[in-house]
Amino acid sequence: MKHYSEEDLIAYQMGESSEARSIGEHLEQCAECATLAESVAQTLRVFSAEPVPMRTPIDMDLSWQRLRGNLAVLEAAPKKKRRWFSLWMWPAAGAFAAAVIMVAVGLRMHHMPNTGGAQETATQRASVTDALKSLVGRHQQAHPINGHGPLTDVPSDDPQISAHLDSAERLLTTVNHEEGPLDEATRAQAHDLLLKNAVYTQTARDRGDLAEAVVLDNLGRVLIGLDHAPETPKSTWQLRLEMNTDGLLLDLRVLRQNDEHGSSR
Amino acid sequence: MEKAEKEAIRRVVAGDRDAYRVLMDRHYAAVFRISFRITGNEADAEEAAQESFLRAYNKLPEFRQDAAFGTWVTRIAMNTAMNLVERRNRDLSVYAPRVSDEVGEGTVQVASHRAGPERALLDMETATLRHAAMASLTPMERTAFTLRHMEEVGMAEIAEALGVPVNSAKQAVFRAVAKLRRALEPVAGGMR
Ligand SMILES: [Zn+2]
Repeated sequence: MKHYSEEDLIAYQMGESSEARSIGEHLEQCAECATLAESVAQTLRVFSAEPVPMRTPIDMDLSWQRLRGNLAVLEAAPKKKRRWFSLWMWPAAGAFAAAVIMVAVGLRMHHMPNTGGAQETATQRASVTDALKSLVGRHQQAHPINGHGPLTDVPSDDPQISAHLDSAERLLTTVNHEEGPLDEATRAQAHDLLLKNAVYTQTARDRGDLAEAVVLDNLGRVLIGLDHAPETPKSTWQLRLEMNTDGLLLDLRVLRQNDEHGSSR
Repeated sequence: MEKAEKEAIRRVVAGDRDAYRVLMDRHYAAVFRISFRITGNEADAEEAAQESFLRAYNKLPEFRQDAAFGTWVTRIAMNTAMNLVERRNRDLSVYAPRVSDEVGEGTVQVASHRAGPERALLDMETATLRHAAMASLTPMERTAFTLRHMEEVGMAEIAEALGVPVNSAKQAVFRAVAKLRRALEPVAGGMR
């Protein structure tokens, strides 16, 4: 007698067999196959669906808040460039401010030997400060929460976050200089940082430190990209990274400096 | 697709992040359930669900509305949850001791003292044994098996979600059942 294989009998018991009829007939007559078929059926019963834990409305709220914290504002495809521009605004504003200072310093040195220059220099200095203030102010108004706004100099309370920011900065710097697919260690590190990052983001948000929360949010998005990076060498994540990390690195440095400054106070 | 969902998608794509809650409220339960089946624990199910909704959100501008959002995000969840299982297998240190680490021969022996063997298998104490058996499957086997057997998803849909040919999905399911059956043998021995 020709017996059926275990795989045939599994397919049969799962309703996936194309020869269900002949298997059924065989099982009527063959004790050996019938025993095996029953063992498969038993396995399927034992591994039947367990109840899924209930999600309470409170769970749902928490899930939503967690998710909400990771959502970037979407814009229709053609407008994307504008968004990148706005993300780059702050570093650009910084560069402009630096240029203003350099010009002002140059002016001041130029006016030094001039005896009547003292008054003028004070005025000039005031106008530089004003220019900076207005730049910063405009930026804050345009991006109250979501933009890479000027970061608060209020330090975070958590000393661990400083180490976290430091690790993140080092990881991103490494990845930025890497070509080709990420190695296992880098991915594992990105994943580890991602888990911690979610906690710190929430902590920052709870503390009301939106500026820090925004940077950590952005960091989280980049980390998710790394964590999920496909094996292909040139893919979208790399492009996104190139676009994302420079500004993000700057923000991380500022945050970390605030933090270190805060803890040495 | 339903009008309310279409409207929510339109608003999200136009920059209204809060409109996404409409979609999450409607489909979170299904996504969480699928994720729970595949990952086997609540914390990972929540993480996979979060990632699935985030991935769906980021891809929303490219989402063609001829498909239902629910079907789409659920499919993303199948894949995301499987990837999470893969990551967990790779990096055992991320989470607290896994069930499989706690299972020794003792558990099996305790269970086999019980009256009927199948009864014993269904007992609470053997939940650990079942979890250990599930943990012995590859992520693909585990995902394909739970989707097919526990969620009664069709083979074609499983194959599409996991990005493999239908025959590979089938083979993964069958291999899973064969492995699970063997894992039960020490306890189920009396039945054969
Ligand atoms: Zn036979």
